[in-house]
Amino acid sequence: MSKPAVRAQDLLVGYGGAPVCAPVTFTLGPGKAVALVGANGSGKSTVLRAVIGLLEPTSGKLQVLGDEVDERDVSFRRQVASVLDDDAYFPALTVHEHLYLTARGHGVLGADALVGELLEEFGLTEHARSLPVALSSGQRRRLLLAAGFVRPRSLLVLDEPEQRLDRAMRDRLAARLVAEKRAGGSVLLATHDPDLVTAVADRAVHVADDVTRVLAPAEAAALISRENP
Amino acid sequence: MSEAAGEALDPVVLPGRPGEIPAARDIRRFTAQAANARGGASIGSLLASVYYAVISLGIAIGMALGFTQAMRVALPPEPDVEAPANLSLATLVVVIVVALVGVLVSLAGRLGPVGAGGAEAAWWLPLPVDRRGLLRPAARRLPLVAALVLAILVGLLDAGLLDDVGPRVAHVIITSALVGAGIVLLAALAQSAGVSRSATALAGDLILAAAPVAAVGLALADWSVDEVPTLPWFGAALAALLLAAVAVLVDRRLHRIPTRSLRESGSVATQAVGAAVSLDSRELGRALTDGAASSTRRRLSRLRTARGPATAVVTADLVVLRRSVRHVVQLVVAALVPVLVTSVPELASSGGVLLALLVSGYVAMSATGEGARRAQMAPVLDRLLPLDAKTVRRLRMVVPGLAMLPWSVVAFASVGRWTGDVAGWVVLGVAATPVWAAAAVRSSYRPAPDWGGPLVSTPMGALPTGVGAVLARGPDVVVLGLLPVWIAVLLRHVGPTMVVIQAGLASIAVAVASSIATGTMMERMLASQEELDKAKKANR
Repeated sequence: MSKPAVRAQDLLVGYGGAPVCAPVTFTLGPGKAVALVGANGSGKSTVLRAVIGLLEPTSGKLQVLGDEVDERDVSFRRQVASVLDDDAYFPALTVHEHLYLTARGHGVLGADALVGELLEEFGLTEHARSLPVALSSGQRRRLLLAAGFVRPRSLLVLDEPEQRLDRAMRDRLAARLVAEKRAGGSVLLATHDPDLVTAVADRAVHVADDVTRVLAPAEAAALISRENP
Repeated sequence: MSEAAGEALDPVVLPGRPGEIPAARDIRRFTAQAANARGGASIGSLLASVYYAVISLGIAIGMALGFTQAMRVALPPEPDVEAPANLSLATLVVVIVVALVGVLVSLAGRLGPVGAGGAEAAWWLPLPVDRRGLLRPAARRLPLVAALVLAILVGLLDAGLLDDVGPRVAHVIITSALVGAGIVLLAALAQSAGVSRSATALAGDLILAAAPVAAVGLALADWSVDEVPTLPWFGAALAALLLAAVAVLVDRRLHRIPTRSLRESGSVATQAVGAAVSLDSRELGRALTDGAASSTRRRLSRLRTARGPATAVVTADLVVLRRSVRHVVQLVVAALVPVLVTSVPELASSGGVLLALLVSGYVAMSATGEGARRAQMAPVLDRLLPLDAKTVRRLRMVVPGLAMLPWSVVAFASVGRWTGDVAGWVVLGVAATPVWAAAAVRSSYRPAPDWGGPLVSTPMGALPTGVGAVLARGPDVVVLGLLPVWIAVLLRHVGPTMVVIQAGLASIAVAVASSIATGTMMERMLASQEELDKAKKANR
């Protein structure tokens, strides 16, 4: 994969023609990670929604894996994995079955073994046969994250993945994302966690009302710490 | 889902071995099998459910047919009062059908018509399978439901109210079914072409609003039809072929519907179905209103009339009502119903006019309570204001009262025209306006349906009394608070005493709706008795 995973040039996003933040410009290369940082409501998640095709950009240029964003395209869905804050599950499917459905739906062979590994990694082995209703909020969040890793991808988009995770799980997630980069995958995440930024991101984009700036990870982490003392 | 080796996948990170992408049918089957295995579903239980549904539907249709036939028998053959404008019963049925078409288009826009909500949106839509296969069942369901509903309703009106029989009713039913399915299929085609859901919903609202306006125009022009128009048999066959072609076209374009549209539609449909199943009309209203909300940014309201906490509450309610096209349409349609009923010779009887006043008034009143309904759902803003709860409720009656005033003038003037005393009836209508406002606020602030109450056995099955008691909040004020109107319509005469009594009842209704006490009077008395007993024990 030689083309950038994401190329955003003066990208303006918003609702009903009204932008939620200043234009965003950044490039995410293969095997790299970019973190979107900024205050609550600054527009980080809206930018992510535009990248995964759930929102039409107001203006500017946005390319994902070298093409215009069109999530209706099957090849787009094969390559772009996203973990948003969707808290919706099939009530009659177990944790294992949710992950198996995702893996097999993406054509993964040997899905059972892979699901077992991910359940172990995300601390869900004991809950493999549980229905979603029996899970805590943090366990459901881990299920969503595991679903992002159980399928093939070139770009992984995560919206505040640290939410509802304890410290140990956050560290494990950071290690997972570093491994993702090593495998050649690209990661775009919105986060409020300074440790995740320094551990994973190669660059950060500070999303704000007036101007968006590209920052070094350490600079972004310091900014987050200042904004959330 | 079987595992078969296939070509290598394009993605860079490949967990597991790459294989063939399964068919959408396999995904659906896997999900359904897991659900069925845990739900204990079997062919027997499926057949039992189908049997129960068919029997229930049959009984409901039979009861509705009996009701419409009884209504026809009760109608006077000739107008008992000379009306300045006339409309035949068949024309009225056509107007109702047009209004139903408007409702159908509006609902199709609000519900999608094609959507994927909740788990399907989160777990199915990101899969790289052929989406047509995933969406096909949902895309087929709504046109069939629309065809069935329109066929039953129009068939009932034709067979019951117009006394048509045999092949003629079959003809009307088939034409209606084709129209119903066609509307939803066209809405689905529009959805796949990128037409916004709010635009479709707005088109439906406008058709709905146009129906009674056109009917009044027809009445004034003295133009009527003698029977409900139908397609000739060959025309129906041709239309069926055309619909099949549209259905194929929709099927081929299903994969073109963007995820955001599917998710929004699915979310609204899930919320609406949940509200309907739990008999929560307030939640249903919220789902349908939000479902058609345009994504276009609203023009900033300067809220110039908000000069203090009290005026802020009133201004907020006014802005909410002004921004909801659906509710404004609802008000217009409801205002024209009494005009229509008093214009159709066969319907212009005391019973017909009273029913029209009460039903259309209730529909109009429901439209005006949007501000109160939203405040009940999210009371945090009200709590920030330096106003006590009783005052807030009284203030929430201002906008419903103002909005119901023109309704009262139009509706009661039409009744006055029917009886020959416009001024007297308008005065009575104005005196009754606060009752509607009180009912709007009382129903908006009612608690959620209580399913924990005792069940009462009825010929139609078990009736949850707790739910009934909650749903009666609002209608009870209408029924009791408008007693002078009932009497006046039945006597076809308005006297000064009635107006005075109506004004008195209106102030009582306002006091009742201002009350912030929860539970019934009996429950409150029992609670205070318990408190008293506890205090006595503590003193001992």
